[in-house]
Amino acid sequence: MGEVIVVTSGKGGVGKTTTTANLGTALAQSGSRVCLVDADIGLRNLDVVLGLENRIVYDLVDVVEGFCRLRQALIRDKRLEGLSLLPAAQTKDKTAVTPEQMKGLTDELRQEFDFILVDSPAGIEQGFKNAIAGADRALIVATPEVASVRDADRIIGLLEAAEIPPARLIVNRLRPQMVRKGDMMSVDDIVDILAIDLIGVVPEDEQIVVTTNRGEPAALIQGSRAGEAYRNIARRIKGEEVPFIDLEETSGFLGRLRRMFGQA
Amino acid sequence: MTTVSHAVWNSSTEGGDRDALYLRRTLRSGQRVDHDGNVVVFGDVHAGAEIVAAGDVLVFGHLRGVVHAGAAGAETARVCAWRLEPVQLRIARMIARSPDRGDEPSVAPEVARIEGGQVVIERADRADDGRVPRG
Repeated sequence: MGEVIVVTSGKGGVGKTTTTANLGTALAQSGSRVCLVDADIGLRNLDVVLGLENRIVYDLVDVVEGFCRLRQALIRDKRLEGLSLLPAAQTKDKTAVTPEQMKGLTDELRQEFDFILVDSPAGIEQGFKNAIAGADRALIVATPEVASVRDADRIIGLLEAAEIPPARLIVNRLRPQMVRKGDMMSVDDIVDILAIDLIGVVPEDEQIVVTTNRGEPAALIQGSRAGEAYRNIARRIKGEEVPFIDLEETSGFLGRLRRMFGQA
Repeated sequence: MTTVSHAVWNSSTEGGDRDALYLRRTLRSGQRVDHDGNVVVFGDVHAGAEIVAAGDVLVFGHLRGVVHAGAAGAETARVCAWRLEPVQLRIARMIARSPDRGDEPSVAPEVARIEGGQVVIERADRADDGRVPRG
């Protein structure tokens, strides 16, 4: 039986879709059978980020309304054998689906996949309620900004109320240099405020812009800092203990010296 | 969530005679607690959370949200927190807000209450408003 994981944040633009695409890619790369579900009905993006837009025939709403079978709507990734996408409808809105229908859908997907990653829309309304309806656990994406952290806190409270087990946190778009100068919240600050466990930190990486526009997840690219971070998160999702990359690592002679003495 | 039959402080607050509400949890943004007596939280109250109590509010943790003690009009109500850093603090009909910039972080337990027509905040171990007998 597969596991349903919702990727959510409250605030828009913090990287839910990019995270979903990259984690799905990394999980599939490591041999898992993965289905990505785009729950952002009316504003679908996940297909674009994965470069699969041109393959869409049926979508999530077609399945729910019985126009097609689930199998017909699933799109196989062009690069990875184990990765599939259930696209959102673009011409409908969030009210086209109910939480009960979403739960039925994810339960059906559990039979065939190891991981079902649900990309949640921003906000706390119907679309969010749909996205979390069938979830076993949640990943919260937050950027080091006060507004993003505040919204994440709100979402964590709503997930608790929905009796979904404690969510884990992904800090996205961290800029270590700014943190060092004291111009950006640190990972510790964010974890301190939200009081939930961290599952990964993704550094700001220009390559993400390039890869998302091209429809090729960064997780596929060796040497991409963000890609490496996503691959590590995927391993942690599977229960592996992976040490955190020290993004705030001090460089230069003094830094090396400190590291030698185990202080950095 | 449990309700017990005794107030924590032997309170002379009008609203505080009623049962105290004890919460052992984190109150997160968007969560709100309304109670017709004292409220005691064992945990943090995050920014964006709200507590409205007819009596006193005691937080054994970090208070960063909005809190209203003496909401039914009790001017003797007070707010006490292990770390008192609320966005806004209301007692009875008084409203106090945090400074717009440069507020120092709280380092010790503090109590907020009304004195001389305004909300004053002082360290809990030094507060003396005559309500809690020394000894």
